[in-house]
Amino acid sequence: MAAAAIGVLDTSHLNGGQKLAVKYYTVAIVLFVAQVLFGILAGLQFLYPDFLYGVLDFNVNRMVHINAMVVWMLMGFIGSVYWLLEDEAGTPVVGLKLGEIIFYVLTGAVAVVVLVYLFVQVGPGNDMTRWFINEGREYIEAPRWADIGIVVAVLTFFFNVVATVMKGRATGITGVLIADLLALFGLYLAGMFYTTNVSIDQYWWWWVIHLWVEATWEVLVGVIMAWALMTVLGTRRVVVQTWLYIEVALMFGSGILGLGHHYFWIGTPDYWFWIGGFFSALEPIPLVAMVVHAVYDSGAHKMRNSNHPTLGWVIAHAFGNFFGAGVWGFMHTLPQVNLYTHGTQWTTSHGHLAFFGAYATINIAMFYVAAQKLRGNVWMGAGIAGAWRWKWALFLLNAGMLTMTVALLASGYEQSFIERAIEGATWSGYFAGQSHPWFVQGMQWRMWGGWVMLLGLALLLWDLFTIGAGETRKAYSPSEDEAARTAA
Amino acid sequence: MIVEPVEVQDFLLAVIAGALIVLAGAVYALLFAISRIQGRPGLMPFAYAAYATLVGAVVFLARAAHFSGFWTFIAVLMLLGYLLAPHGVWRLCVGTHPEEVP
Ligand code: HEM
Ligand code: HEM
Ligand SMILES: [Fe+2]
Repeated sequence: MAAAAIGVLDTSHLNGGQKLAVKYYTVAIVLFVAQVLFGILAGLQFLYPDFLYGVLDFNVNRMVHINAMVVWMLMGFIGSVYWLLEDEAGTPVVGLKLGEIIFYVLTGAVAVVVLVYLFVQVGPGNDMTRWFINEGREYIEAPRWADIGIVVAVLTFFFNVVATVMKGRATGITGVLIADLLALFGLYLAGMFYTTNVSIDQYWWWWVIHLWVEATWEVLVGVIMAWALMTVLGTRRVVVQTWLYIEVALMFGSGILGLGHHYFWIGTPDYWFWIGGFFSALEPIPLVAMVVHAVYDSGAHKMRNSNHPTLGWVIAHAFGNFFGAGVWGFMHTLPQVNLYTHGTQWTTSHGHLAFFGAYATINIAMFYVAAQKLRGNVWMGAGIAGAWRWKWALFLLNAGMLTMTVALLASGYEQSFIERAIEGATWSGYFAGQSHPWFVQGMQWRMWGGWVMLLGLALLLWDLFTIGAGETRKAYSPSEDEAARTAA
Repeated sequence: MIVEPVEVQDFLLAVIAGALIVLAGAVYALLFAISRIQGRPGLMPFAYAAYATLVGAVVFLARAAHFSGFWTFIAVLMLLGYLLAPHGVWRLCVGTHPEEVP
C-alpha cells in the first residue's frame, strides 16, 4: 500500500506495533471520558445526595470513576510500549497477531466488568460476588474472573515485549522497561490474595496501589519520557539512559519502603511509623534533584522540538508530578500530621493532583505523538492551524484540576480540624465535619473545577482528531537539524 | 502511642512548613543549577538563601511534630539530602555529557 500524503489521517503511516498502540489509545480515551463523566456524577452527589439515588449510587459512580482511571492509564502505558517497541528494538513486534487478539479480549472484558458494576449494584457479599461481581479493594475492584483474564492478557503483552527485544536490539531503555514491567505485573498478584482479615487485606492491597504509583509506574513513565525526549527533543541516548538509571535508583530507594506511610493506622506493627516516616520523608528528594537535570538539558539544546503539544504536556507532567506527588504528598505523610488528615478530602486533593499531574499528562503527551505520526509525521511546531485548541485544552484541563485540588484541600483542612481535632474522630464528628459550610463550599468549588475540566476534555478530543489536518509541512526533526549544525 | 501528633494550634503551620520544605528545596536546586550552567555565581547566595528557608521549615516542623530520637535523625537526613542531591546530580550531568559545552 502506498503511504498516504502528509496531513491525511491514515494508519499506513504507522508500523505494526503503532497500529495496535492507536487501538489502545482509543480505548484509553473513551475510558478517560467515562472517568470524568462519572467523577462529575459522584461530585454532584456530595452536593445533592438524592441525585440518582437508587439508580446510580455514589459508591458505584466512585468505583467506575477510579477503576476507569486505572484501566485507561494502564492501557495508555501498554499502548505507549507498543508504540516505541519497534523503533527501540529495531525489528517488528514478535507475535503481534496474538497481541491484537488479546487487545479485543481485554477490551471486551473491561466492558463486561463495567456493565456489571452499573447494573448489579446490590446483593449479598459471598464467593459468587467475589468471583463475578466485585472483589472489593478500591481501584482494582474487578471480580476474580477478570483478574485472571487480566493476568493472561498481560502475560501475552509481556511476551510481545520480551520476544521482540530478544530478536532485535537490547538497549538500556528496553532493559529497564522489561524489569519494571515484571515488577509492575507481579505486584498485581498481591492484590488477588484472598483473606478475611481486613488488616492483612489492606496490607497487600497497598502493595499494588502504592508500589504501582510511587515506584513501578513512576519508572515506566521514566522509560516513556526517555524515549519521548529522544524523539521529540533530540536528546542523546546516553544522556536519557543515564538519567533513567539514576531515577530508577532514587525512586526505588525511597519509594519502595515509603509504603510504610499507609501502615500507620490499619493494625500493622508500630515499626511502620518509623519506616514510613523515614522513607517517605525522603521521597520528594528525587523529584527535587531532577530539577537540576531539567535545567542542565534545557540549557543544552534550547527546547527546539518537533511537537509543541507533546512538549507542553511533558512540561505539565514535570510540574504535576512535582506538586502532586512531591509537595502534596509530603505535606500529609508524617504520622504526626497524617493522624488528622488520613482519609479526608485532603487525601483526595493529593490523589487527584498526583494522578492527573503524573500520569494523565504523560499519556496525553503520547496521544499527541500518535496524532502527529497518524498524519504522516506532520509539522506540529509554530504556526499550525487551530493551535488555540491544544493550548486551551492544556490550560483548561490543568486550571480545572488545580481548582479542584485547592477546593478539596480546603474541605480536607476543615475535616481535619472539626472532625478529627475538635470532635476527636467520633461518629458525630464525622457528620459535623461534612455539614460545615467550609466543607460544602469546597465541594461546590470542586464542581466548578470539574466543569472546566470537562470543557477542556471536549476541546482535547476535538483537537486530537483534527490537529495537523490540511497541514503539508513535514515535522521538524531535531536529529537531522543537529546533524546539519554539526556539519556546518 | 509511638508518635506524638502535632498540637491543633500548630497544625496549619506544620503542613505549611511541610510544603515549604519541598518548595524551597526545588527553588534551591533550580537556582543552583542556573547559576552553574549560566556561569552566574551571583545567583548562588540566593540558592543558599532558599536552602536556609528549607532549614527553617525543617526545624519548625521537627519541633511542631515533637521530633525526638530517631525522628531527629530523619530531620538531619532530610537536611543533608536536600543539600547534597543537587550537587550529586550536577556531577552526574557533567560526567555524562562529555562533548557538550553548555
Ligand atoms: C505520582 C505519585 C503518587 C500518586 C499517583 C499518589 C496517589 C495517591 C492516592 C490516590 C492516594 C489515596 C489512596 C486512597 O484511596 O486511600 C494516596 C494516599 C497517600 N499518599 Fe500518595 N501518591 C503519589 C505519591 C506520593 C508521595 C511521593 C507521597 C509522600 C511523600 C505520598 C503520600 C501519600 C500518603 C501519606 C497517603 C495516605 C493518605 C491518607 O492517610 O489518607 N504520595 N496517594
Ligand atoms: C470532572 C472532574 C472530576 C470530578 C468532579 C471528580 C470527582 C471525584 C469524586 C467525587 C471522588 C470521590 C471522592 C470521595 O470519595 O470523597 C473522586 C475520587 C477520585 N478521583 Fe476524581 N474527579 C474528577 C476527575 C478526576 C481526574 C481527572 C482524576 C485523575 C486523573 C481523578 C482521580 C481520582 C482519584 C484518584 C480518586 C480517589 C481518591 C480518594 O478518594 O482519595 N479524578 N473524584
Ligand atoms: Fe503511597
